Amino acid sequence: MFLPLIAVPLLLAGSALAVFTDEAWNVDYHYALLGHPKQSTSFFHQPNPSSRASLIFTLSEEGVLGAINPRDGAVVWRQVLLPGASAHNASFLRAGEGQDVVISGIGSQVAAWSAGDGRQAWSLDVNGPVEDVEILELVDGKDASGAKDAVALSGGDHPLVQRLDGATGAVKWQHQLGGTDAPYQVSASTTEVFAISLHKTILGYLKLKVTSLDPVTGHKTDEHMLSSENELATAETIVTVGANSASPIIAWTDSAHSVLKVNIMGTKGISSFEIEKHDGQAVERVELHAPYHLNSLSHFLVHYQTATSHWAEVFHVDLKNGKVGKAYSLPKLSGRGAFSTSTSDANVYFTRVTRNEVMTVSSASHGILGRWSVDGFNVAAGEGEEIEPIHAVSDVSVRGDTVSAVRSAVLLSTGDWVLLRDGSPVWDRPEMLASTVSATFASPAEMETLVQQLEAEAHSNPIQAYIHRVSRHLHDLQRLPSFILSLPQKIVQGFLGTSADGGIATDSFGFHQIIACATKDGRLVAVDAGNPDKVLWNQQVADLQPGQIWQPSVSSPRGGVIEISSKASAGVQYNASSGEQLASILPIDLAADQTAQEVKYTMHDGGLEATVDSSTTWHFMPTSGERIVSLVPRPVNDPVASIGKVLGDRRVLYKYLDPNLALLVTANDAARAATFYVLNTVSGAILYSNVHSGVDVSSPIASMLSENWFTYSFTAEALGDSPKGHQLVVGELFESLVANDRGLLSSTANYSSMQTGTEPFTLTKIYQIPEAVSKMAVTRTRQGITSRQLLAVLADSSAVVGIPYGVLDPRRPINRDPSKDEQAEGLVRYSPVIDFDPKWYLNHQREVVGVKDVITSPALLESTSLLFAYGLDIFGTRLSPSFSFDVLGKDFNKFQMLATVAALAVATFVVAPLVMRKQVNSRWQFM
Amino acid sequence: MRSLLTLLCATLASAASLNIAILPSLHLPNPSLLPPSTHAVLIGPPGVRYDAALRRDNTLKFEALPEASYLLTIYSRDHFFPPLRVDVSKVTDGAEQQTIEAWQTFRGNEWSNKGSPYGSGTDALSIQIQASAQKEFYQTRGGFDMLGFLKSPMILMGLVSVVFIFGLPYIMDNMDPEMKQEFEEMQKKGPLTGSQGAATQMQNFDVAGWLAGKK
Repeated sequence: MFLPLIAVPLLLAGSALAVFTDEAWNVDYHYALLGHPKQSTSFFHQPNPSSRASLIFTLSEEGVLGAINPRDGAVVWRQVLLPGASAHNASFLRAGEGQDVVISGIGSQVAAWSAGDGRQAWSLDVNGPVEDVEILELVDGKDASGAKDAVALSGGDHPLVQRLDGATGAVKWQHQLGGTDAPYQVSASTTEVFAISLHKTILGYLKLKVTSLDPVTGHKTDEHMLSSENELATAETIVTVGANSASPIIAWTDSAHSVLKVNIMGTKGISSFEIEKHDGQAVERVELHAPYHLNSLSHFLVHYQTATSHWAEVFHVDLKNGKVGKAYSLPKLSGRGAFSTSTSDANVYFTRVTRNEVMTVSSASHGILGRWSVDGFNVAAGEGEEIEPIHAVSDVSVRGDTVSAVRSAVLLSTGDWVLLRDGSPVWDRPEMLASTVSATFASPAEMETLVQQLEAEAHSNPIQAYIHRVSRHLHDLQRLPSFILSLPQKIVQGFLGTSADGGIATDSFGFHQIIACATKDGRLVAVDAGNPDKVLWNQQVADLQPGQIWQPSVSSPRGGVIEISSKASAGVQYNASSGEQLASILPIDLAADQTAQEVKYTMHDGGLEATVDSSTTWHFMPTSGERIVSLVPRPVNDPVASIGKVLGDRRVLYKYLDPNLALLVTANDAARAATFYVLNTVSGAILYSNVHSGVDVSSPIASMLSENWFTYSFTAEALGDSPKGHQLVVGELFESLVANDRGLLSSTANYSSMQTGTEPFTLTKIYQIPEAVSKMAVTRTRQGITSRQLLAVLADSSAVVGIPYGVLDPRRPINRDPSKDEQAEGLVRYSPVIDFDPKWYLNHQREVVGVKDVITSPALLESTSLLFAYGLDIFGTRLSPSFSFDVLGKDFNKFQMLATVAALAVATFVVAPLVMRKQVNSRWQFM
Repeated sequence: MRSLLTLLCATLASAASLNIAILPSLHLPNPSLLPPSTHAVLIGPPGVRYDAALRRDNTLKFEALPEASYLLTIYSRDHFFPPLRVDVSKVTDGAEQQTIEAWQTFRGNEWSNKGSPYGSGTDALSIQIQASAQKEFYQTRGGFDMLGFLKSPMILMGLVSVVFIFGLPYIMDNMDPEMKQEFEEMQKKGPLTGSQGAATQMQNFDVAGWLAGKK
């Protein structure tokens, strides 16, 4: 009896965990994402002016700046400029023609980044929110370095226009925009710098104020107000304020989108154009696309979008008399369209991407230079959902008078960012996953159908069950021919060790679990953990208004089903494999445990309140000055294989196992202290508490509770002789600290946390760790036999580490070497510092940026736990905390085994006659 | 957080700046190959944290640091860097200037335990730092090793017996007849071999007779 009990922990204790060379890059998967690219901050640019190869640059809504290789969609480099940014944050990204840097503006920082490798060239804090950044294309002649200067407009209390040196970021001049007008944009022509601010009239309308500045000195040369009458109610109807063109323009419409007004900057004249109505539908959106180069033709395109169709008009600016005239229009097409501008020398090309085709026209005439049909974007979408292009950036290759090829990076309505080369999709980046807010594992629906059928057989009468079974087997027989046909291939692959994992239906290890991710913009996206290269399905589940925030939570109430619920709505269920919505009226499960009572928790006046059947059972009120930071309960599905810890001398320490445990963290901002409580969530009893002072309460405090142990980490300030840095505390709860003794619980057969108030004995250890942990999770296996690993997200290293429990064990002996019994348990001497071994980095060389949460799920194999991390990047892997003891891994050399068998066979055949002859000889010779 | 920091910077109007240059070393022969995600973090008193990205010239720059004691950590994908302690304090006599000093520090030791100094300066400090180790992420599996295989005692025993089986008859054949005769005599006298030897008796044991009760 004792032998198996002791054998398991002993086997598992000595494991030095690591990522194996043959498993890295194969078992794990990673989407290095940027987030939703914005039209205004995405472009093709050559990072090295001497080479023609260009990269796609973008500064996304999530505040991530990145360069994408247009060939395969891989990230060349990226920088998180503003963690936790959203679509509300204004951000700017500019690249000067022939420059090897890109200049970003977000938050209060303007920075230049080396376009080829993503290193910072310079950065500047502008003391206020950045309202606009432009590059001054004009050449002074004095500057030999060739770095073009930038102009930044900052808001805040003292709006400023600053000219920044292109090489160092030093401020060359600054001009204070006086008055109460809100700074809006900055723009530059060959001779002047314009600062545009919004002046609010008494009636509440906006007027555009244009301030002209001398680019060399920064002195004001002119200031005038544009007579926008009473058209501008909000800044949203300003279509564009162009920049860096031969003649920058300002364009705006009235709120009904019935008239378009255009002003050439620096002049006072306004050209007015009626927006024609098509089919009586209101124009929803007006966008202007203009080239971004000084030496390009001053042509621009205006894109009109209604609910069902779109069209565009191209305008020419006559530089001599300062007149704007309409040149031609592009016909109306149904659905949405995306327009993009590209330049080649002075020529300007407009590329139009619709759901059916890509075509390119020259800005000079309406003749189509290139046209390619789009057969599909090759991305997953909901059933019946029409995939529409939202916006695009294009790169055209011009040969003679025709466009020979066009590459367009198109953001689709599904959230995918795809590259179309001549109309056919080349790569796809699932950028919608970068805004995942909640995720869950679910077993595939295919696996559940067999379970359901077996259950149906078990619950019907024998004859029906027999018929059901025979028909099921007959149905299975249909697959036999294809199975036999695939058999030789399978054997060969198995022999060579090249066999890939099977599909979802043939998954016997439980690696093919479906991960459903709910994204910020109301979509539900599913990925197969065993085959993560492709998104399984992706559909809109919530109809959100722009700017609306929802807080969904995804869960899997039973196999094959995903349930999504938010504050506003009850749970809606989906088939895990297909994404099909299940009947909204759910069958009520009568077999559910009627005796179980739910305890509900609510935050109430800064405290925690628990209610059973609408009557309050207990309150938790933090002391004055404290606020609740987090409450982490023990996971619902947390199997524990053994109720005790087997010691080296085969005695047992009993674990304090209670399903109703939670770890509560409170912080005191004034006293810089954090308190940690282990609560019994039914009775409200405090089982353990500890206060740490000198804690940085503004940095993340991660905590986790599982089985009978808890852990938390925080950043501490040096107080007196204490060290400064990051600390990790581990505590383990026991029924008693005397071996083979269950304390007060030994005599009781039943146990209720309402009646008996047994308190656990807690052992804790504190460790110094090299960096802050932003989130913690723990591995989970099917039976809980496998030892556990603490998963810690390291935001500074962009990593997820798996720390073996043996390293954290609070029973590590202090100031002495472990005794023989303790050695048998795998305990090592306590040392106050845990250095994260690079071999614990589950992501190894990958950089997993912006992880907000980590979820784990048991596989069917006891040895294996699945992990999925989301936030900005998506990262997943399989973990075997006690090595893969129940499956032959990659380390199993099939060839070596077969060679050994063959060698033994040969040896037997060779030796057999020799032995036979010897035996015969010995008889005949000595008898 | 960011606005708090700018506020701090604005109110203190401090000018202390820190410039860290990464030098080539044994573990990192070419610092220009460091990934762009390499960054340095200064942790001051609770709530104060500065982050600097790696620059093109392999430096990390912090500007306008207020007076405090900081922990400096450099994070890089492939290399470890030693943690440093950076103190910014007022010059005792001058009103406007600040002293900035840097030392090595040791994790898990009291904060006052400073290691070798990296330098000190007034208002500005440039220090040089080297990577302390390279990160080894991967564990190779113990593959098939011929020498190790041959060294194992089981295989050694097997090999010895093979030598005896094949080698002994050969040696016997090559012995001179006198010695061979002597050897055979010795074998016959041995308790196991010869016609009265235990082994021969065992081989010639009459099982059927014994079962039939023959004495």
